[in-house]
Amino acid sequence: MGHRVARAAVHRLAGLGAVTGEVRVTNDKRKGSKGPRVPGFQGELRVPNAGIRIENLSKVFQGRDGGSVIALDGIDLAIEPGSFTCLVGPTGCGKTTLLRIVAGLLASSSGIVMVGEEPVAGPRQDTGMVFQQYSLFPWRNVLDNVAFGLEMRGTGKRERHARAKELLGMVGLARFARSRPYELSGGMQQRVAIARSLATDPDLLLMDEPFGALDERTRHRLQDELLSVWERTGKTVLFVTHNIDEAVYLGQRVVAMADRPSRIADDFPVDIRRPRDRVAPEFVEALLRVRTVLEEVMKESSKQIETTKGG
Amino acid sequence: MPQNPDRRQGLGRKLGRIGLAVVLPILLLAVWEFLAVRLHNPWLLPRVGAVFDRLIHPLDNVLETGSLVYNIAVSGVRVLMGFTLATVVAVPLGLLMGRIRFVRRVVGPFVEMFRPLCPIAWLPFTMAVFKTYTVVNLFGVRYSDTVFDTIQVGMLFILFYGAFFPILLNTVDGVLGVRDVYVESALTLGAKPGQVFRKVVLPAALPSIFTGLKVGLGVAWMVIVAAEMLPGSDSGIGYLIIYAYELAEMDVLITGMILIGLVGALLSWGIGLLGRPFTGWQALER
Repeated sequence: MGHRVARAAVHRLAGLGAVTGEVRVTNDKRKGSKGPRVPGFQGELRVPNAGIRIENLSKVFQGRDGGSVIALDGIDLAIEPGSFTCLVGPTGCGKTTLLRIVAGLLASSSGIVMVGEEPVAGPRQDTGMVFQQYSLFPWRNVLDNVAFGLEMRGTGKRERHARAKELLGMVGLARFARSRPYELSGGMQQRVAIARSLATDPDLLLMDEPFGALDERTRHRLQDELLSVWERTGKTVLFVTHNIDEAVYLGQRVVAMADRPSRIADDFPVDIRRPRDRVAPEFVEALLRVRTVLEEVMKESSKQIETTKGG
Repeated sequence: MPQNPDRRQGLGRKLGRIGLAVVLPILLLAVWEFLAVRLHNPWLLPRVGAVFDRLIHPLDNVLETGSLVYNIAVSGVRVLMGFTLATVVAVPLGLLMGRIRFVRRVVGPFVEMFRPLCPIAWLPFTMAVFKTYTVVNLFGVRYSDTVFDTIQVGMLFILFYGAFFPILLNTVDGVLGVRDVYVESALTLGAKPGQVFRKVVLPAALPSIFTGLKVGLGVAWMVIVAAEMLPGSDSGIGYLIIYAYELAEMDVLITGMILIGLVGALLSWGIGLLGRPFTGWQALER
């Protein structure tokens, strides 16, 4: 118990309050192009965060016709606190299901899922989530969207608006506080969604293909913004995508998932210095590694479909 | 945000639109006047001027029933009472049905059974059951000397019945149509079930609920003529046109019909205005 209180205190100090100070730093940095990061910057702001531990996780969906679909089958995965992990795989491999179970939006059929030191039994205060579909509440303006989580906790209006403004500043949308979500472009909406998920200062950020619907240029820009947010806040990030380039660009670690049966096909660290160069040999090498694994997996699963059909 | 340039073209365009909108009414009036002159029979079709004359003197006593304004007001009170009762029952019930599958499965089929039965089909039953009881009689008072003496229980029942279904069904639809991602976002942001309902489901469903209120009020207003056909009625715009028919006062009859149309449009516009703050986002979202 005492441990947790101490952790919370570190949060207060290193969390949001510090974030505002950093906004200026990055703004300056941006003017002077991509300069080297301030030495020690990362270490100072890193705070102990919630990791994830998944053991022998299975999920079976019951179909209406009485049949059942195995979405996840005996998955093991451990994720370090404060790390950025990308989960990549073909559509239907269960990566979104996995994420929703970690978020507490979906119950598992069997196995263990822990966030921090507690098993997941529902949506948690220390877990934020960003969805692929546009999820901002259209009946609220941008500021009140970002302030939603704090409002649910009973934070006073002035305080939650001040915090929401800080976060909007962090994603570069301070002047759109009074706009309605539908007045913003898709990329801006997802930036607001990220700010909204950070407002309650969760330890863990789950992202379900948040940039999937964006054009490539916007996606690349938001990837960089997300990385800078992550570096400044030190959250644990689990990022689901079917885009291999995105996974290799963002992740400290890439976990490739396969379907039929759903399992982890590959899991490796990406030790490429940031900002990463998409045409550097080591980047291409990592890209090819994931692509090869996923292609093999797809060949296998299509073969399997053929043999099942034949037999 | 840039505005749609078409919308900004201002007065000229607006006047053009109004011009187009009045073409058919003017044509109708012309045909009506032409026929009235040709027929030369005010008991069949009065001149346009006779009806116009009635309309510009809304405070004159009409056929000893009171003024046009009085009759409209009486009908308005009846409709609003029936409509309010329907809203008070249908909205909460619809919210429950939308949120709780068990309630939906129990109440849904029952409601569907009654829906095809139009309010007017209830008239004979209503006459038999409620006779000429007024709402004040319900409170054990024979006569209160207020407008409520003119409001019969049977009328309220028919108005309630007419308004009930559109409100209920649109409320259920509105709740069922709330996108999952809104609810899930709220849950991951720490909202408790009650908060999800108040802060997400309700605001997300409000545009649909207001559509239901608009249609429900419209139906109640349409049904008012039937409701005022009940024996014992002696006022109201619906009663007035039936009475005018009996006395062969065609100018009063047509005046009443025009007023029913105008007031109906006004009510629809009013409720739209009332709902604008809660529903505006939906119109703009597209």
